[in-house]
Amino acid sequence: MAGSLIKIDEEIVSSAVASVTLGGTDWDSSYDVYMVRINNVLPATDTVNFRLRFTVSGSADDSSNYDRAFKNLRGDTTFGNTSSTNADHINIGGLGTTGQEMSNAILYLFNFNNASEYSFCTLEATTRNDQSHLRGFQGGAVLTVAQATDGVNFSMDSGNIDSGTFVLYGLKK
Amino acid sequence: MATLDELTTEATAEIEAAKPLYKQVNNERLEFTDDDYAQAITDLANSKWQEQEFGYIQARQEAYGSIADQLDMMYWDNVNGTTTWKDHIAQVKSDNPKPV
Repeated sequence: MAGSLIKIDEEIVSSAVASVTLGGTDWDSSYDVYMVRINNVLPATDTVNFRLRFTVSGSADDSSNYDRAFKNLRGDTTFGNTSSTNADHINIGGLGTTGQEMSNAILYLFNFNNASEYSFCTLEATTRNDQSHLRGFQGGAVLTVAQATDGVNFSMDSGNIDSGTFVLYGLKK
Repeated sequence: MATLDELTTEATAEIEAAKPLYKQVNNERLEFTDDDYAQAITDLANSKWQEQEFGYIQARQEAYGSIADQLDMMYWDNVNGTTTWKDHIAQVKSDNPKPV
């Protein structure tokens, strides 16, 4: 159906920043499900992990309540599994600064406006990691706190995000 | 092995040296607040701790040959009486030692 994805927020990084937040004061709570698109995200520092947090009142929730489980589809060798529990962020893959070691991904966000349920996301990503190996990630994550959330925050575990496009859409009911 | 306090000191020095740091929100590039800087130090220290304690696991996973390659090594080791597979595993482990 035409017009079913409604753009809510867009952040284009052209000068390096340590973090990018989608939502916050731009958040529109009238949707049940949201989609996040990230394109060509490059770190400023080599061999870092790209990380995601959900935001509460516009600030990244750094509590140790994130669980994640991903299938790690590897171009160079056998597929693997990646998971963690009670982490203070969601690790969405290693990146580097040589040979277009960048991340591209689609996320869907669920229950973000419901204060009595956990906030979930699914993630489908294709990246080249810091060894220039292709990685495909498919999986999900949850913030195990019954609270409303109002956006997503991206950062590297060290150094800046050098460039990238981050877009938040609402899925029209 | 550094303690978390020592890594926090190291992280504080790195964040101080990297100032000013910026965040992008609502299409604005804003300098970090004091709270943001404090969070950045905590995050960097925790990241260093995780790498120190558990980084070898991911490094080993990256370095091990595929299951198909390892099975092939085992087959030929069995046929020829060689130790290629055992040597491969030992090399990956010694290249990426578990912290003690």
